[in-house]
Amino acid sequence: MSRRRRRLSGGRVLAGAVRRRPREATLLAVWSAVEAAPVLVFGRSVAGATDAFLTHRTGTGLAWLAALAVAAAAGAVGSAAAYRPLAGIVEPLRDALVRQVVRGAVHEAVRTGRPGDAAVARLTQHVEIVRDTFAGLLVVIRGFVFTLASALIGLSALLPVTLLLVVPPVALGLGLFLGMVSRAMARQRDLILAEERIAGSSTALATGLRDIVACGAEDARSAKIGRLIDAQAAAARSVARIAAGRTIALAVGGRLPLLAIVAAAPWLLRHGATPGAVLGALTYVLQGLTPALHTAIRGLGGSGLRLAVTLGRLIETGEVPAVPRPAGGGGDLRLSRVTFAYGPDAEPVIDDLSLTVPDGDHLAIVGPSGIGKSTLALLVAGLLTPSRGTVFLGGTPASQVAPEFRALIPQEAYVFGGTLRDNLGYLRADTAPPGDAELDAAADAVGLTALAERLGGYDARIDPATLSAGERQLVALTRTYLSPARLVLLDEATCHLDAAAEERAEAAFAARPGSLIVIAHRMTSARRARRVLMLDGTRAWLGGHEDLLTRCEPYRDLHGHWAADGSEPAQVAGDANGDRSQPARVAGRANGDRSEPARVAGDADGVDPVARAYLPDDARHVVPDGADRQEEVIRDLGG
Amino acid sequence: MTASGLVIRAVRDGGAWASLLAVTSLVRAGAETLLPAVLGLAVDGVLRDGGTSTWPLAYAALVAAATAGDVLTELAIGTSAAAATARMRHRFVRRLLALGPSAGTRRSPGGEGPCGVARRASPTVRAAGGSGDESTRGAHTSPGLAAGDVTSRAVTATADTGLAPSAVVLAITAVLPPVGGMIALLLLDPWLALTFALGLPVIFAVLTAFVRDTSAIVGRYLAVQGVIAARLVEALAGNRTVAAAGTADREITRILAPLPELAEHGHATWRVQAATAGRGTLALPLLQIAVLAVAGWEVAAGRLTAGGLLAATQYAGLGADIGPVITQLGRLARARAGAARLAPVLDREPPAYGTASPPEGPGRLEFRGVSAAPVLDGLDLTVPGGRAVAVVGRSGSGKSLLAALAGRLAEPDAGEVLLDGVPLRDLSRTALRRAIGYAFARPVLFGATIAEAITGGTAPAPPADRSGAAAEAVPAACAMRAACAAQADGFIRRLPAGYGTPPDAAPLSGGELQRLGLARAFAHPGTVLVLDDATSSLDTVTEMRIGDILTRDPRTRLIIAHRVTTAARADLVAWLDGGRIRACAPHRELWADPEYRAVFR
Repeated sequence: MSRRRRRLSGGRVLAGAVRRRPREATLLAVWSAVEAAPVLVFGRSVAGATDAFLTHRTGTGLAWLAALAVAAAAGAVGSAAAYRPLAGIVEPLRDALVRQVVRGAVHEAVRTGRPGDAAVARLTQHVEIVRDTFAGLLVVIRGFVFTLASALIGLSALLPVTLLLVVPPVALGLGLFLGMVSRAMARQRDLILAEERIAGSSTALATGLRDIVACGAEDARSAKIGRLIDAQAAAARSVARIAAGRTIALAVGGRLPLLAIVAAAPWLLRHGATPGAVLGALTYVLQGLTPALHTAIRGLGGSGLRLAVTLGRLIETGEVPAVPRPAGGGGDLRLSRVTFAYGPDAEPVIDDLSLTVPDGDHLAIVGPSGIGKSTLALLVAGLLTPSRGTVFLGGTPASQVAPEFRALIPQEAYVFGGTLRDNLGYLRADTAPPGDAELDAAADAVGLTALAERLGGYDARIDPATLSAGERQLVALTRTYLSPARLVLLDEATCHLDAAAEERAEAAFAARPGSLIVIAHRMTSARRARRVLMLDGTRAWLGGHEDLLTRCEPYRDLHGHWAADGSEPAQVAGDANGDRSQPARVAGRANGDRSEPARVAGDADGVDPVARAYLPDDARHVVPDGADRQEEVIRDLGG
Repeated sequence: MTASGLVIRAVRDGGAWASLLAVTSLVRAGAETLLPAVLGLAVDGVLRDGGTSTWPLAYAALVAAATAGDVLTELAIGTSAAAATARMRHRFVRRLLALGPSAGTRRSPGGEGPCGVARRASPTVRAAGGSGDESTRGAHTSPGLAAGDVTSRAVTATADTGLAPSAVVLAITAVLPPVGGMIALLLLDPWLALTFALGLPVIFAVLTAFVRDTSAIVGRYLAVQGVIAARLVEALAGNRTVAAAGTADREITRILAPLPELAEHGHATWRVQAATAGRGTLALPLLQIAVLAVAGWEVAAGRLTAGGLLAATQYAGLGADIGPVITQLGRLARARAGAARLAPVLDREPPAYGTASPPEGPGRLEFRGVSAAPVLDGLDLTVPGGRAVAVVGRSGSGKSLLAALAGRLAEPDAGEVLLDGVPLRDLSRTALRRAIGYAFARPVLFGATIAEAITGGTAPAPPADRSGAAAEAVPAACAMRAACAAQADGFIRRLPAGYGTPPDAAPLSGGELQRLGLARAFAHPGTVLVLDDATSSLDTVTEMRIGDILTRDPRTRLIIAHRVTTAARADLVAWLDGGRIRACAPHRELWADPEYRAVFR
């Protein structure tokens, strides 16, 4: 997958953030220049004042200092005023990054079907790092540029020859610093990666705490995260060594000029420099150059590198692949020769399946769990693409069908924090949201009314965490009932409801116009359907319930188990499993029953008091004429 | 332990590097304090003696010492933080694991602490717990949120607390240059010191205003950020519905709705900083200028040299340079805030384990007068060794809590649970976990591969090279046997890399996940197996096959059941009602009671 089709550089993003705000950028420059005013006059004032004081012209000396005070006041105003345009540049960048992270994380989760672990860390940590460090960087860079310029201008006006003593060490220090940049970047990147690994592991630890403790695996997990923690510490130490190296560059650029001026002072004094001028030159270095270099190298070194690396990773992970707009849909569902496997080396989950579901059909998909029913639902919904073969809804490939034409409810119902109305109208946002009467009708049909009342009506805010799994399924079912979709896929979407509630919800969907495909959690779902698709390994049978009972042995077996305990109607409603017989007898008679499946199958309502034998481990044995039979099935299904 | 106590512990965690830091930062501070004076002497020397003065050499030597101090200090800052952070993380992870799910089930005073942080902590741990049906439900609905909270503590709060060693040391040594500057001014000329001292209150006002303002504003900012993060986690968990509904963009809009509010609080943080910066930058130069004016007066009066004037300017700057102090106090505040987030977890007392091994017994499990909030009240139950007991009861009757108590995943408020006559609390942790295995309705898998997930992560660690481990798709025989018993072998083989597939990369349905959880329980070597609704998502055929295997299992089995078939297969059914066992008898004996039958409706 080409996720990085266009790699944006972090620098370009930051430059763009400044360029998009030309007014703020200009204001920032102007106020920064004002802020640097004291530096510009500092050395000159000290020189003038010193010479005046040494020659007992106290008034002149004080005048020089008054000039400096005025400059300082201006500088303070500039310093405070610079924060407003700074915020005007930084805050929009933060907003943009938050948007990008959220967009990237949601699209990634939707594309892969997995909630990404690192998204929260990106949102709460990395974006903040970029915000803080970018602001710091702007402050540092413009501070450095304007202070350096002011100091050098001041020096050249006061004692031009000192530039020769000052500029070379400053350049050397900056050069040393720049020479370390690429290594520092690499170390910083290692550090961030190490931190992300810890974040991912901690999330896994938190979600799996009960299981880890129950398995007595505390020490093993602790050791595993411990290794990540130690690796992070090692990376942090490497970064600390780089930081120490930077300090040397700082000493060269910030302290050598002072030594040079002191060393050259006798020569300067011999060549006409006043004592005040020497003091002024030293002051320019002490009050301007050294602090500017200090903040620049510290700022660029620590946070600047962190910014570059963090931003690079944010951009890299936050990119959203272009998704083709859904084209259309509606009509009959047609799968032709669909094969799907989860990996190139994995056994196929769906193997050469052909199936037509005409508009208005009610199909139940049954089969042992893990056999690929959910995979089939995802293929039909277009959320997975077949390895071979095609899935069409009407004339449109499933992957391009617009969402309003089909709806899928997975086992884990999604309810979000918001009002019940928001949740129920979720699939109607593009059209008219349902009114109260329509909501009432849907709630009544699906069986949500009692829950809606308990929650305090449609406009009450709901917290998904306080709802049970079954209650969330009811919300998701009612929402889908209200959707415009003509094809509804229920992927065990009623598995947390009791049998009566399930029947009610399914009946509501069956009465709704359009097609219904139910991945059955209970056999009753199959009995209610017009047709049944039985999946067993990579084989499939399609037919009416009665039809399958007579000609599909795995279905008979499945049905036998699902329906066997239906001797008491109450239990059918309860959980379809009201077995009154003794366990020993069930096991004892298991083998004997296999020879007479017709008796069970013959009774369409499945009222047989004796539990059926379970499927043998290798289901293939049940169908003796496997190969021929399969051909026939494919023909059936293809038609 | 209070947040401050934790900060002190973090300082100790900094170890030798923190001690080194104390030395080097003292050297640095000392050199920094002496440099202006020696520079002044060097300038005076040159003005007086020309090139023959030796003071410039002394100045050069001091510059070298200051630089060495700088370099080592920088190294020690990073290294001590790395050490303290790592130790704090180890400690946090170990404590979290030691607390396990039981922490949330017991209402410890720490858990209900006064600060919001502590209150948010309790669902974290409880989420993974399973104290009764209610909290089990909570565990299923919001593991992500709780996990996010734990992650931010494990990553951010520990890193913040790890700043403590350097913050504490530097907050002290950063005071030295300002103090040294003041003393130097006093030595140079008392008037200089007096001038400077008058400016000090301004600086302290600025300092305190900064610390107070930001914490409140940053708190509001973080709260909004938390709302956005929570919405994101929610939507990510519902990814399949979002994908099918094609509502990704709307979800994004919903998640981002509080963004303007975030920006508003964000701007507020800059406004505070601007005010501080304005006050700071004005106060500092004015103070320097005032000192310069007085110094000039003294120079004119012949009481101060030119070098003295240069030194005085710098000492005024040094004395007023509260920037490092502010920075260090800010870091210290962060360390304290981090510690305050860690303390609620680190404070909670983990359940204590004994040292006993279980006696060689059949695995008889006894509940004696067990009470546990909120539902169980003086419950007595004996699960005979090697037999299967199904626990049935209406929703909310405490079945899951009973299951949790059976293996000390929850602690009873009163009464005792015994395994072969030995109280569970007397068993060592290893013995307890080896004796009792669990399967849950919603197992969480851990381990690098499915095979490792089945063996419970207790198998020897995989080689460091993970791709190598994944490529090696030959599962341990034990994992494969257990998977076959749990009817999971077939679908595992259809996963992208079979048994070598990482669990978080496997597209698993609820039923598949349950079967992996069962496989993990089957692979468990213990004498007791607790199944907490562990077959609820299975189709009936699969459940039947697994039920058969369970029936033949020689271990003691405590099975939380909703289905009649499960109850019917068990040797005994324990009927939980009103916080106690209402009856414990074979299913067919109980079946005559219409109230018993009603349990299954």
